[in-house]
Order: sequence, then structure tokens, then C-alpha cells
Amino acid sequence: MIAREMFEKFKQRFGPLIERADLPSDRRLFVFVDRSVVKYVCQHIFRELDARYVITIGADDRPFSGKFLVAHNFAFDKDHLLCSVLTQLPADDPKIDSITDMVPAASWAEREMRDLVGIEPVGHRYLKRLVLPDGWPENNHPLRKDVPWNEVPVEFDPDREFRFDEPPEGCTVVPFGPFHPTLDEPAHFRLYVEGEMVRGCEYRGFMVHRGIEKLAESVMSYNDIPMLAERICGICGCVHNVAYVQAVEEAAVLKPPPRAEYIRTIMLELERLHSHLLWVGLACHIVGFDTLFMQSFRIREPIMWIAEKISGNRKTYALCVIGGVRWNITPEVKIELRQTLDKLETEWRAVVSAVSKDRNIQKRTWGVGVADKDLVKESGLIGPVARAAGVDIDCRRDHPYAAYDRVEFDVITEQGGDVWSRLLVRMKEVFESIRIIRQCLDKMEVGPLQLEIKDELPIGRMGLSSVEAPRGESHHFVITGENNRPRRWRVRAPTYQNLQAVPRMIKDQQIADMTISLGSIDPCFSCTDRLETIDLRSGVTKVWSQEELLKLTRAKKV
Amino acid sequence: MSLLSKLEETLVCLKAGKVTLPYPAQAQPLPEKFRGRPIFDATKCIGCAGCANNCPAREILVFDVCQEVRILQYLGRRCTYCGRCADVCPEKAITMSQEFENGTNAIGDLGQRLELFMSTCQRCGRCFKGPSVLEDLKMKGYRSDDLQNERWIFRSRAFLEEEKTVDDIQIELD
Ligand code: SF4
Ligand code: SF4
Repeated sequence: MIAREMFEKFKQRFGPLIERADLPSDRRLFVFVDRSVVKYVCQHIFRELDARYVITIGADDRPFSGKFLVAHNFAFDKDHLLCSVLTQLPADDPKIDSITDMVPAASWAEREMRDLVGIEPVGHRYLKRLVLPDGWPENNHPLRKDVPWNEVPVEFDPDREFRFDEPPEGCTVVPFGPFHPTLDEPAHFRLYVEGEMVRGCEYRGFMVHRGIEKLAESVMSYNDIPMLAERICGICGCVHNVAYVQAVEEAAVLKPPPRAEYIRTIMLELERLHSHLLWVGLACHIVGFDTLFMQSFRIREPIMWIAEKISGNRKTYALCVIGGVRWNITPEVKIELRQTLDKLETEWRAVVSAVSKDRNIQKRTWGVGVADKDLVKESGLIGPVARAAGVDIDCRRDHPYAAYDRVEFDVITEQGGDVWSRLLVRMKEVFESIRIIRQCLDKMEVGPLQLEIKDELPIGRMGLSSVEAPRGESHHFVITGENNRPRRWRVRAPTYQNLQAVPRMIKDQQIADMTISLGSIDPCFSCTDRLETIDLRSGVTKVWSQEELLKLTRAKKV
Repeated sequence: MSLLSKLEETLVCLKAGKVTLPYPAQAQPLPEKFRGRPIFDATKCIGCAGCANNCPAREILVFDVCQEVRILQYLGRRCTYCGRCADVCPEKAITMSQEFENGTNAIGDLGQRLELFMSTCQRCGRCFKGPSVLEDLKMKGYRSDDLQNERWIFRSRAFLEEEKTVDDIQIELD
């Protein structure tokens, strides 16, 4: 009854300013409020009711309701409730009060909404462009429905340069990225350093923005998108695949068969296993301990093989379609999976026992890149970063999906908030994942893999889905639509929130710790940068113009 | 303390021994289910275009060059080997092969082209019902944005025309 209780609370407090509400289940709450109070409602939810900020979504709803739509999503983790505060804005005046003063974590999401949908967050203190390429014209917002998915605006100016902020007084600028040995993907940090100490930084990312959401909303169809969603991330693709499908299923009130839910759980946990092992390896690599990097990868390899056996691919499982899964786990594979897990467990135990006493690693990671409980709350940090700071959140337990409500596991927390704690959390979570998979294998019932869908999916319904990715909560928001495709699909990958806190995590630290601090959130830039529509090479170098570069690369191909 | 951990770490390494495989000299056997490059079988294909309508990457184009000949063109450029085409094919004309060493310099190398002799219904041109409603919806190919999105669009022609059906095809053909 928690959704209803929460709604009663809102009603008491804001009365007639709440326009309507939708309580599709006990774990979801959609409230539509007038735009004059959205700020106060969010403040109430975030401060007084102590919810966790998830994401802000802007949508162009003009072809359907004649209005723009803004949703602020919050999670009440202890109450197992996801809540969305929705506001409709008139088509000729898409402005909304910024909530960043009360909810600092909303900063990027509001900037993105301004770039892509053209909804102005009034009162946002730092409205620099975030997502669109530098040369993109001001008045073109690609996620609006009247902009074709493949349009390159005529006013696009490839020569316009990015303007960096002024560094604080007395600081030197040290560029970090876009390409750096410890970054697997491009992102640019402009560090302000004083001597050896980092005093601040400016982030410039979204360089591999691929326009995935726009593509899905205008070209693809319900069952195509899972394969696209999977390619959002190179490591935790299955998470996005499942999260998208669950969001659609929730919107359309479909319940996948139990066996499908177990298989989803198993594949998600396999993914967590390989991702955590990979991360521990990379973290060791970043601090210069390559032996363990090699060993982690060796131990990880059998997981990839078993995943390949189940799904046909090491990494891109292409697991879900709406209403079920595509691959079965046969009895033979089951036996093999159990053996793989046993071997992994023994080997990993040896590694954990060695690493947890290793002075060299401790010296590089103790007290480094600290994110305390405060920062976790303010920036909406999630996943191992939050758990390492003693914040006990985990979507698998708090917002159960797939078969997680039928298995037992512990949520690992540590108190330090530093890179060392994150290392411990991830190392221990491996054992929990093994435990979950074993229970799933025991409990899995025989039955169909896919739901038979008899009707077309309903139109204009909303669905939320939070899936605990190895890096934190991955949140998908879907509004179903016409033509067999969603009207709006918004992906919030975990790095989107975690990355925003990096400037504060590295403040007043040695510059040499930058790499491991950044590495410790397990950044995944391609997740963060989901939606570019055009090449972003402008302004990187003065020797070659973009044209020339393009010519050069094209010439090489033939 | 630290020395002990170093010893333990050494042990982990020693126990592992040598694990590197002599690839490419010797490849690890692939699991049976492996999803490699899809192979199209012209003898089985009935030209229903179910695969074309369900391919997330829009890699399969189906078009008619004349009343009797239908072309199925698999482009092989950005195929993700997801296997959806093989899933929906009613005739099992597509197999996900074990080929994965597909690096090439020329973009057309991986393409496949089937020429199918057709004797389908003159009115609807279809002969296949999708397994679910979602899929059914797509089989009809009625969406207005079809052509622009490389969607298969049904167009039967009594004679060959110079003009391209979809821009892309010509690029891939040469
Ligand atoms: S494998 Fe997937 S991407 Fe490739 S042709 Fe088939 S459906 Fe399209
Ligand atoms: S789905 Fe199968 S039968 Fe139909 S066109 Fe494709 S390959 Fe041919």
C-alpha cells in the first residue's frame, strides 16, 4: 500500500496542485503536478521524504497531447517504490523551474534536456552545452518529433570551437584525455592543478554520442530495440537489454514466464561476474600491478565461454524479446555452468585472500577518491560507489525484477568510501553472484521461454525499470507509442550519475591518483553518451580541419 | 603481512600455468550455438521478407526486379549477428554459421545475394504469417516511412527499370 500512502502524503501537502496520479502497481507512482510547484514537490520528495534522485526526462509530446512533458524520477529504496513526478508544459513556452538548487544531481539531466528537447530549466546555474556537438545550431533540438532522425542541420558549423571555462587563479591546466592510456573510451577532463594537487576540473564528454534514443523512437520497433539497447554498453549490454524489455513489459502489463525470469537473472549475474573480474583486473592494471590483471582475466575467461555456450556470443547475448527470452539453459549447460562456478569460486577466493592483504594496492587506494555519504546523496551516486560509502542500496533487493525476489543474497557494503572499499565491495560481490546463480539453477522451473502476445501493445503508457548493472542502477523509462515502437525511451546508465561526482572525488588529491579514482567508478562512457547524431571531431586539432580528416580517413579505406 | 600476500599471489600465478591458446594457429572449438555470420540458402528461401522486416540493423533488403524474380540482398556491413533473421525465417533458410573471422577491406565482401523465382500471390505478394502480433504488424510492410528507413517495401514490376529501388543497393553492388 506504500504507493497509495505516499500519494496521500503528497495530496495532504500539495492538495489541488496535484493534477492527477496513476498507481499502476504498489511499486510505482506517477504524479502529474502543475509546473508552478514541481520544484517544491521535488524538494519535498528529495529532502523531507529522503528519496534518491534517479533522472530527469524531457519528452516532446506535442504530436499527441500538444504539450511537452518533463518527468523527474525518484526512488524510495527502503519502501521499494519508484516515483515519477510529471509536468506538462505548453508547446509555446517550454520552460520549467530547475530543481538543481534542491537536487544537485539533476544538473546534467537538465542540461541534456535543454540540448536535446529544448526545454529550458529556469534557474540552472551552469547551462553550458553538454550533449550536442559544438557546431550544432542553438535552436535545433534533435529529440523533438519534428526533427528527422537523420537530419544534419544546414547551419551546422564544424569549425566552431568548444570554449573552456577559465581555470581558478593560481592553477595550471593539465589536460587528461580525450585519449588516455587508462581511459578505454574518450572523455576529456581539464584538470586544474596547483603543484601536484588537483583543485578542480572541467568535464567534456559525450564524444561518442550515437543517437540511439532518437533512432529507436523514429525508426526501430519494439523487438528490434533490445538488440540496439545491448550495444549501449560494451560490458554490461545485457543489463540494458533486460531493462528496456522490462520497461516495455511494465507499460504493457505483460508478465514473462517464470523460466524466462530465471534465465534473465542468470545471464545478468554472469555479466556481473565477468564485469567485476574485468574491473578488478583493470584497477590493478591502473595502479601498475599487471600480474593480477592477467590473473583476473584468466579467471574471467571461462565465464565468457559459458555465456557463449548459452547464448551464442561471449558478450552480446541478444537475450530478450518483449515477453521473454530467446535462449534456453539446457541440462547439459546447467552441469557445466555449475562446474565453471565451482572453479571460479576457488580461484577467486585465492585471489581475494592475497589482494586483501596486499600493502602495495592498499597504499595506492586507501583514502583515495573518497565519496562520502553526503556526496552519494547529493550526486545520486549508485552501485558499488554508493555501497562502498556505506549506503545500503541495491536495485536487485530494493526494486526486485526478474527472479531476484525468489533468491537470497547479501548486499555488500563497506564504510570507507574510498577506492579500496570499492575494490572490496566488488571482490565480495562476485561470491554473491555465484550464490544467486546457484539458487536460480536449483529453482528454475520448466516452462515456456516466451509469452505469447496476442494484442498490439497499448499506446501512451509509461513504464519504469531499474536494473542493477555491475556499475550501479541502470534506469530505463519508456512511453509506448504508435507504429509498433515506443514514443519515448530514455536510458540512464549508472555512469551518468557517478561521473558527475568525479570532480568532487578528485578534489585536493594528488594528480597521480586521478586515474584510479576515475577508474574506480568503472566508467563506461559509451553508456553515458548514448545519443550523438553527428561526428564530434571539431576543434580537436588545428592542423587538420574536420573535412580534411574525413578525406584522409576515407582515402585510407580504399 | 605484505610478503605473505605476495607469496599467495605467486602461488595463484604458478598454479595457473600457461593458458594462452596458440590462436590463430589453433582455434578453440566453438560451441554449437555460436552465432556467426548468417548464411542464406536460396533453395529454401521463399522470399517472404520476414527476415528483412525483423532485422534490427536493416541489413536485409528484398525487392523485385521483375514479375518473377525477387532479389534478397544481405548487405553484411553492420550485421550484429543477433540471429533474429534466423529466428523468424519460416523456412529455416538462414543458418547462423560458425564463421567469425570476417575482417575484410572491401565493404561488399560479406554480402550475399539470392535471386528467387517467385510465383506468389499477385495481390498481396505474401505467403507467411508472423509468429506473434508484434511481428505480424511488421510483416505487412505498410509503414509510410518504409523506403527511407531501408524497410522492405513491396513493389512488383513487370519490367526492369534503370532507377534504383533503394539508394543503398547500388552502392553495395559495385
Ligand atoms: S543476424 Fe541480426 S543483424 Fe544480422 S542480418 Fe540477421 S537479423 Fe540482421
Ligand atoms: S525469412 Fe527466410 S524465407 Fe523469408 S525471405 Fe528471409 S530467408 Fe527467405
